[in-house]
Amino acid sequence: MKKRLGLIIDQERCIGCEACTVACKIENQGAKGWIRVKTLNVAQKDTPEGRFPDLKMHFLPQLCQHCEQPPCAEVCPMEALIKREDGPVTLDKEKCDGCQTCLDACPYDAIIFNSETDKAEKCNLCRHRINQGLEPFCVICCEGQAIYFGDVNDSNSRVAKIIAARETLQLHPVEGTGPGVYYCPPKTPRGL
Amino acid sequence: MANNETRLIRTVCPAHCGIDACGILAHVKGDRVVKVEPADFPNPKYRRICLRGLSSLEITYHPDRLKYPMKRVGKRGEGKFERISWDEALDTIADKFIDIASQYGWPAIGWTLGGPGAGTTKFGAYLRLASLTQSTRVSAWGYGDSGLPCGSRVLFGTHIPYGLLFGSLFTDPPPPDILVVWGSNPAEAQPLNVMRPIMDAKEKGTLLVVIDPRFTVTASKSDVYLGVKPGTDTALALAMMNVIFQKSLQNDAYILRHTNGPYLVRIDTGKFLRGKDIGAQEENEYVVWDSVSNSPRTRNAAESVPGLSGAYTVEGVECKTALQLLKELTEEYPPERASEITGVSADIISKLAERVGKAKTVTFVTNMGFTRTYHGDISFRAMGTLAAVTGNVTATFKGGHLPAVLNWKPFLHANPDKPSYARLGILQLYDAVISGKPFPVKAVWFSFINFLNQCANSGKIKNEMFPNLDFIVAADLFMTPTARFADILLPAASYLEFSDFIPFPYPYVQLQQKAIEPLYEARSDVDIAAGLAERLGYGEYFQGGEDAFIDIILDSKDSSIEGITREKLKQGPMALNSLPEMEQEFDIPFSTPSGKIELYSENLYEDGQALPVYLEPLEAPVSTAKKKYPLAFIQGHSRFRTHSMFADIDALLEMNPEPVVEINPQDAANRNIGDDDLVTVYNERARTTLKARVTEGVRPGVININQGWWIDQFKEGSVNHLTHDVINPVQEKIYEPNMHMNDVAVEVIRYKEG
Repeated sequence: MKKRLGLIIDQERCIGCEACTVACKIENQGAKGWIRVKTLNVAQKDTPEGRFPDLKMHFLPQLCQHCEQPPCAEVCPMEALIKREDGPVTLDKEKCDGCQTCLDACPYDAIIFNSETDKAEKCNLCRHRINQGLEPFCVICCEGQAIYFGDVNDSNSRVAKIIAARETLQLHPVEGTGPGVYYCPPKTPRGL
Repeated sequence: MANNETRLIRTVCPAHCGIDACGILAHVKGDRVVKVEPADFPNPKYRRICLRGLSSLEITYHPDRLKYPMKRVGKRGEGKFERISWDEALDTIADKFIDIASQYGWPAIGWTLGGPGAGTTKFGAYLRLASLTQSTRVSAWGYGDSGLPCGSRVLFGTHIPYGLLFGSLFTDPPPPDILVVWGSNPAEAQPLNVMRPIMDAKEKGTLLVVIDPRFTVTASKSDVYLGVKPGTDTALALAMMNVIFQKSLQNDAYILRHTNGPYLVRIDTGKFLRGKDIGAQEENEYVVWDSVSNSPRTRNAAESVPGLSGAYTVEGVECKTALQLLKELTEEYPPERASEITGVSADIISKLAERVGKAKTVTFVTNMGFTRTYHGDISFRAMGTLAAVTGNVTATFKGGHLPAVLNWKPFLHANPDKPSYARLGILQLYDAVISGKPFPVKAVWFSFINFLNQCANSGKIKNEMFPNLDFIVAADLFMTPTARFADILLPAASYLEFSDFIPFPYPYVQLQQKAIEPLYEARSDVDIAAGLAERLGYGEYFQGGEDAFIDIILDSKDSSIEGITREKLKQGPMALNSLPEMEQEFDIPFSTPSGKIELYSENLYEDGQALPVYLEPLEAPVSTAKKKYPLAFIQGHSRFRTHSMFADIDALLEMNPEPVVEINPQDAANRNIGDDDLVTVYNERARTTLKARVTEGVRPGVININQGWWIDQFKEGSVNHLTHDVINPVQEKIYEPNMHMNDVAVEVIRYKEG
């Protein structure tokens, strides 16, 4: 099976700290963090849903899903967005003309428009790092140790083993995009 | 070296989170640090950094950094300063100190240092100078952190009980059946050192219980959440013990071996019965009731089987065992009564108590949260007593890494032939300055502390304390609300600009290595202290800078750190030496009067606190019925700051732009307050105005403002304008009085102009 580099994000371990967002901004100098943490089902971040004391609060780090069939790449007139053979969907800033078609095409809201450079931006899975055999910067800076990186198609990899052993979800599977990012949902409280 | 080459320097982010002490790799290009990243550790679980550490370059390269020494030219607090040279600054300070000392004596100079974080030499340098000049060390424990040691000293005879309660989290044993996180939010406050192993344990099946008035991030990870009212934790612990004793789920063998539970207490005096009372040779020895001979025996008498419970008459004196007295206290707190006090359902209290009683291992995790209430020391004792009677306090040792023993003596007592410094707790400093009791303090040196911002009752500090000081020096990186009041202001180095020895995270020690020279005219705290020492005639004690001090600290000759040198540490962290696992475990001697865990403390009998009795909070309302200030105000800790550090960092302000007061929708509706409305929090001390965050994340009757925002970031007031500085005399007697930031009553209204 061909290599498919991807991520697993473990929502059970994610503490919503946003270190990934800060790390990404520092590493990639984006206009915003290319990974952003949403608190689920509430208007204000870091607030729970429900009624005191029966509450829950879950975090969802959102970023480019590195799709198998990336809609962004399909619509990009400049071929600035490409699907790499080994998994990542990357954006070539030099080729981007700032048309923003990709922003609308992405069902994950993962592409950002940088109004200063007049270009689109997104997570490239830290290609400059993974090309050197390093992990993406958000992975090594994750406080909760909740992000795992690897070849999801290699049954010996840690990520493949987690996918095999645990319940995982993908975002908007109906879109048929084939995300390369998997989420382990938070565990249900066991009570007394 | 070519200017564009990147050098990698292994150092440590020592932000006050202290024991996290993340090892980091600084990428240095030319004379500039361009990036920091988490550094490797022998154990990969310790490779880590947090969002503050990642943003820490913004501190070093912040445009608002203090760049050179300054003297005040305007009124105190006005913020008008004029640049001066280091020589002028240090000469002025030396002259002024000598002048004040000649009038009032050297104790009139107070060294007020913040928590040292994980650093050692920056703290040591000022202490060494305080010691040599025999001036006053103002202890910062009372800055919110002395409630826990007060309780721990009574119960365990140790200042910091983490090792006894949750040290196992760091040594990778089988996970406990249950983890109880009590009044603490490690997911935000100690995400790496404490939360990671908690989640590791949960992953392996541990049941996670969180007790907190707020539904924190930690609570969001829990299997069971108890939303307790602030200041009522003791009642909760007593009720849990009530159930445990009712169902006989306590660990009798452990109580017998490791606690003073079986010792007889005289009902007439409240003191322990002693050998002399029964005519035994060991006059001062504790006495137990031997159930074999049915007679009183001293505790070490051969072949006796001490009774754990019951009342006995000895030589006409009515006695009960300490455990019996504890049981009788808990009988007053059945779950139904505790439910009324704590706001936690009786059913949950009963079920949790039963689970804790039946579990093989329970780990209790706490920090400084509930101990920042007026009787927080007792809350800690109550929780610790619950842990002890169920056998969940580590009381034996059978090998492993030794705790670091460092050589502090040359700093705490620099000249062994002379006395060292005088000592005041931070709340005691208020009185010393304002009323000259127990002795006058006329000058204060502030280093790595934002005193006005972070200490209780800011209005009193500003209006009564500061005006009574003849001289204020502050060494800092920024013009903090405190620095504005300085007469002489000194620019301190950021952590990338000096070296230090970091004795964390257990079981490792690390070297914080200077990555770049201090920017502008900034100096390290060691250099600042050395410059002043030279002018005061103690230059010989400050030769060799930080490196020399690191070597002194390492030179304890203790087996825990033997062989660890500064040179070796440059390559990376080193583990503390360890003892091989022994065949037989031995009992850890507790430094209490009895050498055991003290369920009953005779020294506190006169204070009515021999047992962990439930006493109502000083201010925090336990019932909201028609009180003038019906809401309990607490201060959580945010991941965006370490106390007041990082409050001025853009990357973090982008995600968390301003202070908000969290209020429950019920309380908000009663006051016609909506989300994001501007509101005023007030009590008789002050008004504080900020935005409201209407959230179910705090229990009804409680409001929370995360601590650490600077005074100028509020529309008016600040968190500590609202807090009180009342001293708890029992804490003063035990050790040092604490500030009670989580024991404050307030009311909230919509903001009105004027």
